[in-house]
Amino acid sequence: MKKTIQIPLGSQHISLLEPIRFKFECENEKIIGVDADVGFVHRGVELACTRSFEFKQVGYVVARVCGLCAITHSLSYTLAVEKLLGFVANDRIKYLRMLMVELDRIHSHMLCLAHTAENAGFEALFMQIMGDRELIMDVQEAISGNRVQFDYISIGGVNRDLTPELVALIHKNLGLLTDKIDALIGLFDNNWSLSLKYKGVGVLRLEDAYIYNALGPLARAAGLATDVRAETSDFPYEDIGYTMILESTGDIHARNFVRLREIVNSIAMCQNIVNNLPVGEIQEKAKGKPNGEAVVRVEAPRGELFYLVRGSGQNMLDRVRIKTPTFSAIPAMMEVFKGSEYADAPAILASFDPCMSCTAK
Amino acid sequence: MRKIEITLSTVLNDIRAFYLPKEWHFLSVNGIDLGEGKIELQWIFSKYGVKDEVVIYYAISDYDTPIPSLVSLIPSAFMGEREIVDMFGLKVEGAERGLYLDEDSLAHPLRGES
Repeated sequence: MKKTIQIPLGSQHISLLEPIRFKFECENEKIIGVDADVGFVHRGVELACTRSFEFKQVGYVVARVCGLCAITHSLSYTLAVEKLLGFVANDRIKYLRMLMVELDRIHSHMLCLAHTAENAGFEALFMQIMGDRELIMDVQEAISGNRVQFDYISIGGVNRDLTPELVALIHKNLGLLTDKIDALIGLFDNNWSLSLKYKGVGVLRLEDAYIYNALGPLARAAGLATDVRAETSDFPYEDIGYTMILESTGDIHARNFVRLREIVNSIAMCQNIVNNLPVGEIQEKAKGKPNGEAVVRVEAPRGELFYLVRGSGQNMLDRVRIKTPTFSAIPAMMEVFKGSEYADAPAILASFDPCMSCTAK
Repeated sequence: MRKIEITLSTVLNDIRAFYLPKEWHFLSVNGIDLGEGKIELQWIFSKYGVKDEVVIYYAISDYDTPIPSLVSLIPSAFMGEREIVDMFGLKVEGAERGLYLDEDSLAHPLRGES
């Protein structure tokens, strides 16, 4: 009988951005079993949304669930409440909301790519990508007034309009970023060191993607054609040039490439939005109090973000259910680790782009 | 969104008859406290490649009735099941406390009475 040893990874570890603890059961260097503990940063946001804040305030509370995809949290909640109020936003509001969501996707994907580069020992590439990412952070700050917690979306519209100066900044920075992403694609595809670390490592098979309900870039890298942008009609994504990005090998390399190609697609979509911005008000009256139950799905950078909101015509809501992408991805992640080398675990984990702040909420 | 009411005793059979892994994406398990000791349990699915197709199976239960686990059918369901065990203090077959709260915690924060 072979002996096994247990090796923990986290909750505090040099390769982790956020607290999560894996307990790996290893046979020599090979991982044969995994246990995950994800609850280190539980803050009781769902409870706060129904006990401490009125429905008009909750959009700003749920934005605090996550620092990277704050905009998708406030958007999902806002859409759910607007459905309960019978409010439909005009096209200008929809376009401005899509613009911020896609900008968010770009900078979030770049953070993940930087982190996977760092885990491959490529510190210089990490610094380079994080530097390039500032182009998008600057645009988001200029549009919303905030760098991380944007508080840009509110019930009935958005809080700021685009000015000609902002449009010029968006075009300039997206143009600069396009060249940099082209260079990154070449580097991630051809660099020998990165290929050793990424190709054929941390494979999620398509069958397992279905069985474990993988989502977002994790699923699309395995060839599972799922993207909420193509599965909901809340936003006119077809009109702005959305394309579903799919890979087939399901390894770290494929996940990196889904993200890189999605950045290219998101840049094109942002340019289309700015060039074809409909005329209209940015804030309209959404009257009444939420009554009934609504569900909303939005494609966050890590995959499907799901909100269920139930109200009974009062200022306080009955239930706000938040299902975040990383929460759903944990079972698939655990499956990918099995059979992998322990030494690859940090790089595999980084390629999942886990957000524990979202997961534990 | 379609909502389909089922009973707790038949949940596994009802969802087994409906769920095809390559057709339906399992979103999550959810609980909503209805007051007076009642709770609405929801099992939520969306359909791959079809716009706005969300199906919610739901059953009304109380705090103490054991809830069947879907893990034998949907392996990823354990996360949502552990969450409702923590948040509502429910008993789900095979699901342990301690996902978010301490394992020995007596709290159930999303119950209406708490």
